[in-house]
Amino acid sequence: MMRRTAYTVIGVLILCVMLFPVYWMLNASLQPSGNTLTAGFLPLHPTFSGYKRALDEQGGNLVTSMIIAAGTVVLSLAIATPCAYALSQFRSRWVSVGLLAILISQMIPGIVIANALYTAYERIGLLNSIPGLIVANCSNAIPFAILILRSFMLSVPPSLVEAARVDGAGLFRAFVAIVLPISKNSLITAGLFSFLFSWSDFLFALTLTTKGGVRPVTLGIYQYLGTQVQNWNAVMATAVLSAVPAIVLLIAAQKYIAAGAIGGAVK
Amino acid sequence: MISKRIAAALAGATTVSLLLVACGDNGGQSPASSGDSVKSLTILDYYNNDPDKSLVQKGLDSCASKLGITIQRETVPGDTLIQKVLQQASSKTLPDVLMLDNPDVQQIAATGALAPLNDMGLNSDGVIQGMVDATSYEGKLYGLAPVTNTIALFYNKDMLAEAGVQPPKTWDELKAASKKLTKPGRYGIAFNANATYEGSWQFLPAMWTNGGDETDLTSPQVAEALQLWVDLVKSGSASKSVINWTQGDAKDQFAAGKAAMMVNGPWQIPALEKTPNVKWDVVTFPLNKPDQTPVAPLGGEAWTVPLNKDQAKQQKAADFVKCLNSDENELAWAKARFTLPTKTALLDQYATEVPSMKAFAEQVKTARARTGKLGDKWPDAAKVIYQAIQLALTGKASAQDAFKQASGG
Amino acid sequence: MVTLTRTTVAGRAKSRGRRHRGETLTKILFVLPAVVAMVALFGYPVVKNLLMSLQDYGLKTFFTGVAPWVGLKNYSTVVTDKLFSDAMVNTALFTVGSIAFQFAIGLGLALFFHKKFPLSGLLRSLLLLPWLLPLIVSSATWRSILEQDSGILNRSLMGLHLINDPVPWLNSPSVALIAVIGVNIWIGIPFNVTLLYSGLAEIPDELYEAGQLDGATGWRSFWYITWPNLRAVASVLLMLGVVYTIKVLDIILGLTGGGPANATQTLATQSYEKSFVDFRFGQGAALSNILIAISFVFAIFYLRGTRRAVDE
Repeated sequence: MMRRTAYTVIGVLILCVMLFPVYWMLNASLQPSGNTLTAGFLPLHPTFSGYKRALDEQGGNLVTSMIIAAGTVVLSLAIATPCAYALSQFRSRWVSVGLLAILISQMIPGIVIANALYTAYERIGLLNSIPGLIVANCSNAIPFAILILRSFMLSVPPSLVEAARVDGAGLFRAFVAIVLPISKNSLITAGLFSFLFSWSDFLFALTLTTKGGVRPVTLGIYQYLGTQVQNWNAVMATAVLSAVPAIVLLIAAQKYIAAGAIGGAVK
Repeated sequence: MISKRIAAALAGATTVSLLLVACGDNGGQSPASSGDSVKSLTILDYYNNDPDKSLVQKGLDSCASKLGITIQRETVPGDTLIQKVLQQASSKTLPDVLMLDNPDVQQIAATGALAPLNDMGLNSDGVIQGMVDATSYEGKLYGLAPVTNTIALFYNKDMLAEAGVQPPKTWDELKAASKKLTKPGRYGIAFNANATYEGSWQFLPAMWTNGGDETDLTSPQVAEALQLWVDLVKSGSASKSVINWTQGDAKDQFAAGKAAMMVNGPWQIPALEKTPNVKWDVVTFPLNKPDQTPVAPLGGEAWTVPLNKDQAKQQKAADFVKCLNSDENELAWAKARFTLPTKTALLDQYATEVPSMKAFAEQVKTARARTGKLGDKWPDAAKVIYQAIQLALTGKASAQDAFKQASGG
Repeated sequence: MVTLTRTTVAGRAKSRGRRHRGETLTKILFVLPAVVAMVALFGYPVVKNLLMSLQDYGLKTFFTGVAPWVGLKNYSTVVTDKLFSDAMVNTALFTVGSIAFQFAIGLGLALFFHKKFPLSGLLRSLLLLPWLLPLIVSSATWRSILEQDSGILNRSLMGLHLINDPVPWLNSPSVALIAVIGVNIWIGIPFNVTLLYSGLAEIPDELYEAGQLDGATGWRSFWYITWPNLRAVASVLLMLGVVYTIKVLDIILGLTGGGPANATQTLATQSYEKSFVDFRFGQGAALSNILIAISFVFAIFYLRGTRRAVDE
């Protein structure tokens, strides 16, 4: 017991070091100037003006970000999971071709994709739309999710699926009934990162929106940084606020990952 | 047909001279079929941030109601404007009225994307020469800037008084004052010498005042100006961080009392007013030798009209730009946004009405446009300038060699 | 296990002919959505970028659509640029430095959090927090932390008497790259921890129990049980690490803009600068293609490595 408590203490210390910049951002958000030039370790004279402004102006943007991120998770997992399974279990010379294609896709600078999508979206009318941004964010999430899911699914014993097939299940049903449940950990991990990719996206939000209607919070933050006048106070406050709903999700997802690990232990 | 044309001219701008209308006709273009048919204009600018955003909106709205149209305005963050413009250019969706930072006007005009304003009843009469240079390309006017700005030397009154220092007038005084004002936790001066066009822009007052020129960056006058920056940093009177600071960072240092002086522009005044304990004033940038005239770079944004197949719309957009550049709007924007009117005739009146802008008003009269000499080749020179500054301030080259090295020699 | 396999083989043989055609179709349907998505989201941009790199694609092109073909001239121009070799070296240092430390620290932390102790799950998931911050915010925060005179890092180090003079983190050409790598390591750790942790969680406890009977504990259990089972995840992680790190742009731009005196210029920042500062889009595209080519070589090595692993 002593030892486990010691681990917790060490864990907290590690976290303090790792999250210090996050704390420093919080500190800056409570400074009237939005910077820490004259700040001590603690914000002794906090101001909440940045928060007031962020709450007034960024609420809708937060909802937009949420919808886009959730949509990205659903769409990218729906597309990536069967493909990952195929690449991990099917024997075909196309597997390495597929893998190479996915890897190459990850090498392409985002700006190249964003500019190409702009031209395409303009034609099909997806500019300034939430579905448009979801699809664009999937360009980050899908290849990543395929690679991650595949590397986990490699360890799924083919015998499990074959056993179900013997019982008369089709390939797809076996996939849904057998493979998906035992891949829960990796699905949550891939989904989590899809969410994070989408949540922190700035490039697509900037490129694929041309007017104020659809505006994720990352773009909302940028609006505080004018060419000449910069409201760092509001920037920092928005960053803090926008982290809160995502933290809640992180903690919720963490429970599932832990549960999955225990599930693996009793399997 | 004729009556329609007259109606267009009247609706557009009551002051369009008949001569220019005639010119347009001689050009053989069929002008506006009907000004009345244009009900709305799209506008793109980078005043994405309050207070500028809503102050500019007021001016735009008042011109819109004068012209009897509605406007759809889009604002984007400053450093993304050009990218947006390129995107829209390639998909042929440029706005009817486009705001551009003045050093970009010639570059964009060179692509053939903009409509010459002379053909549409606009002229640059009475506008300070620097701004005319910036917004003209190959003899034609492509944009008009209602307001402008420049940079000068801000100083903290209390700190100078406490140290018994007068606001410096020469480089020697500047160096001495900076040194005297430096103490633990505080630098004498803050400026921006980072590796962007902003870093070049802040260097121009020293370079131009000393007779340096962007057409010959390896001249001794330019090296002398660079030596000033080097001396300020080497002596410890300015932070070594200036090579990473933006103008916003310099302002933060000044507002936090960590710098007694700074090189900066009037757009920082609203932010400085939020720290009332910092009492400040502004003087023109010091001279190397007392007989020199201060020459500062011109800032500010010009409003342009992208070429449009719809002639009526293009004319309406030009009328809109003209309205934005009326005396009335110039003064309104200048006062509200701590900028300066671009018409010489308005400058003196303005300086008496807004005393805190006096030093800037003086600087502006003699100020030069960055693109005045090199036109659309200016960015290449600007790049050499900021790279040379970086080389010299990091000790990788002497001020004499830095420009040679940066220009690849 | 053995019996199970035997049954399936028998079952498979029986049903093979009947199902074969329908099954091929099902298999295609498994990958079809992904193929469509990949072609739409990546095929077109790549081709466009390749073509662009062979053209004199400048500011004017956006307005006139005219971009003369110049063959490989863009490539020769960027390769002979005086900054190219510096940028190559910096890219290599940045990538290797970032990945080595991200992975090592990430693995250490993942192993640490794998020991189940009170709050371990909560602490581990909070570790992901840095990822939630927009890069513009985290780079601004880091800039203020690393600020030479008033930054909290130098203030703390001097307060603890670990250094006598402030370290010019972002101001000295010889230190800036290290500082930038450090920040990138910080950003990359959560990613590495989470993936490696998930990999660890997939390793069945029975293996460790069995190993314990054979005397495999501590380092030996790591070496003989953990590492081999983690290898698939680790190798994809390292591969992705290379591919992602080599094209990192925002962090460097946010911290130093490639300075001071070009000390932190990488291929990615150079490519950005060519395109969006100089408006020489053809050259920018050429540089990003060189970047892609380098990643591509890594990808080939990776695939060969994993195939060998599978063959083993």
